[in-house]
Amino acid sequence: MKGLQNIKSRILKFLIETGDIATFTSRFFSEVAKRPFEVKELLRQCYQMGNKSLLLVGITGFIIGLVLTLQTRPTLMEFGAESWMPSMVGISIVREIGPIITALVCAGRIGSGIGAELGSMRVTEQIDAMEVSGTNPFKYLVVTRVLAVTLMLPLLVLFGDAIALFGSYLVENLKGDVSFMLYFNKVFDALEFGDIIPATIKSFFFGLAIGIVGCYKGYNCKKGTEGVGKAANSAVVLTSLLLFVIDFIAVFVTDIFYDL
Amino acid sequence: MKRTNTQKVKLGLFVIFGTIIFVVAVYLIGQRQNMFDKTYTISSYFQNVNGLQRGNNVRYSGINIGTVRDINMLNDSTIRVDMNIQEGIIAHIKKNAIATIGSDGLVGNMIVNIVPGRGESELINDGDIIESFSKIGADDILSTLSVGSENAAILTADLLDVTSAMLNGKGTVGLLLNDTVMAQDLKSSVKNLKTASYHASQTIDELKDIIASLKTNDDSVLGMIMNDTISGERLKNVVVNLENSSLEIEKVIAQTNELIAETKESQGAYNYLVKDTSLVNGLKSTLKNIDEGTAKFNENMEALKHNFLFRGYFKKLEREQKKEAKQLAN
Repeated sequence: MKGLQNIKSRILKFLIETGDIATFTSRFFSEVAKRPFEVKELLRQCYQMGNKSLLLVGITGFIIGLVLTLQTRPTLMEFGAESWMPSMVGISIVREIGPIITALVCAGRIGSGIGAELGSMRVTEQIDAMEVSGTNPFKYLVVTRVLAVTLMLPLLVLFGDAIALFGSYLVENLKGDVSFMLYFNKVFDALEFGDIIPATIKSFFFGLAIGIVGCYKGYNCKKGTEGVGKAANSAVVLTSLLLFVIDFIAVFVTDIFYDL
Repeated sequence: MKRTNTQKVKLGLFVIFGTIIFVVAVYLIGQRQNMFDKTYTISSYFQNVNGLQRGNNVRYSGINIGTVRDINMLNDSTIRVDMNIQEGIIAHIKKNAIATIGSDGLVGNMIVNIVPGRGESELINDGDIIESFSKIGADDILSTLSVGSENAAILTADLLDVTSAMLNGKGTVGLLLNDTVMAQDLKSSVKNLKTASYHASQTIDELKDIIASLKTNDDSVLGMIMNDTISGERLKNVVVNLENSSLEIEKVIAQTNELIAETKESQGAYNYLVKDTSLVNGLKSTLKNIDEGTAKFNENMEALKHNFLFRGYFKKLEREQKKEAKQLAN
């Protein structure tokens, strides 16, 4: 009986949180179009989230491209199909691995950062102070951050894809004898708009999810230092989960429109 | 302020480079689908497109020259394939070019291959329709293979029957395999054959010796014929002389024939003797008269013997004859 109650309360909690996030998201959309636009803060956030994440995304992408090629190469060689490597790696990176890995890395770095920053602001009552002083904290803190991550993530994904393909090319060039021109010709021969456009659109939603969840968790942080840690942690966990759900939906929708 | 400006520049570079990557990627993909070039459209009709899709490559003599623009089913057995062809390449394709559907490698995408036609023809224009040629598809190959395997199964079944029949001793081959008597017979036949061949080889050896001796021995007639060149020359002369003689004989025979013919046709004594029957009859009656005359003469002579005038002479003749006979007896 107690267990049933426990499940019931958990389900209720989940539904309430879902509703809260939905409200939070709708508030974001209503606030985003309203003046005044916090451009300066937006640019600062873009710099923090875009430029500062580039190194991490670059290294991750490079290693992913490298490892993917190294791991796949022996299997393809068994079939004598090494020439298919650029197309295979190109499609898998552009369609799936690039966006999802970049988003996960950003969820870890940006999501947790937003959650911790806003959480500590909430804990130290800075947000309350802003409200009192007449500044719209939602507009200044949440909208700028969510917008920044939504705009920056697709760019990070593109950088990540390019660096991953370069990493893959390096392995191909070292192990085999493939020129830069031939490698990228083969990659772009295999790619279609049905690969790059849905992946880019998907990246916007990934960014939105990271921003919204991070901001929601930090904005609604419970009192105390423990609350800040929890907010950062749960922001990463929930974002990661949400990223896969969005990815699944995105692939589903892409399949309908592009007939993969 | 300065720090913010640096951040802005860095952010600007980040955004610009990110956008450039996107634009370049989109351009490269679009270029491969001939989205930014001026293209010509040509079409072809097929019965089976073997899984060809929009966007698949079109090749002319192995060079990628465009993509498949559209595939439409016109009726139950005709499919129209429209192709976008690059502007630069259109000056090389003629109206008699032939389109075929193939595969890019063993497991690759389907492609349309355009191959140049034979002979002279005009250059192709926008919207033209070229002929198509349907290659044997994988399905056809598989169906042929299935027929082949069915036949193989029938064949193996038949072979099984044959071998089991053979093992059971049915038929000639079975008899050969199982009948020991026949095997013995065969063995002895082979033995006989062996002996015969041995004798044959011996005979051949002997013949060889004979021929060799003929070659070396000039005393025998054949040896002389074969080896003696002088005799050979003589023989040749003899043959030539024989030939000449036969020619001469021929001439003589011809002349004789002419002579006989002339004799037959002439009014000479021979003709009179041979052909005149009255002469024969006259001769016959003459001979008859002579016969009768001699008979009568014999009678007269007998009568004369008995005549007293000649009796003494005949008696004397008898006595001498007797005397001679007596002498012969002694």
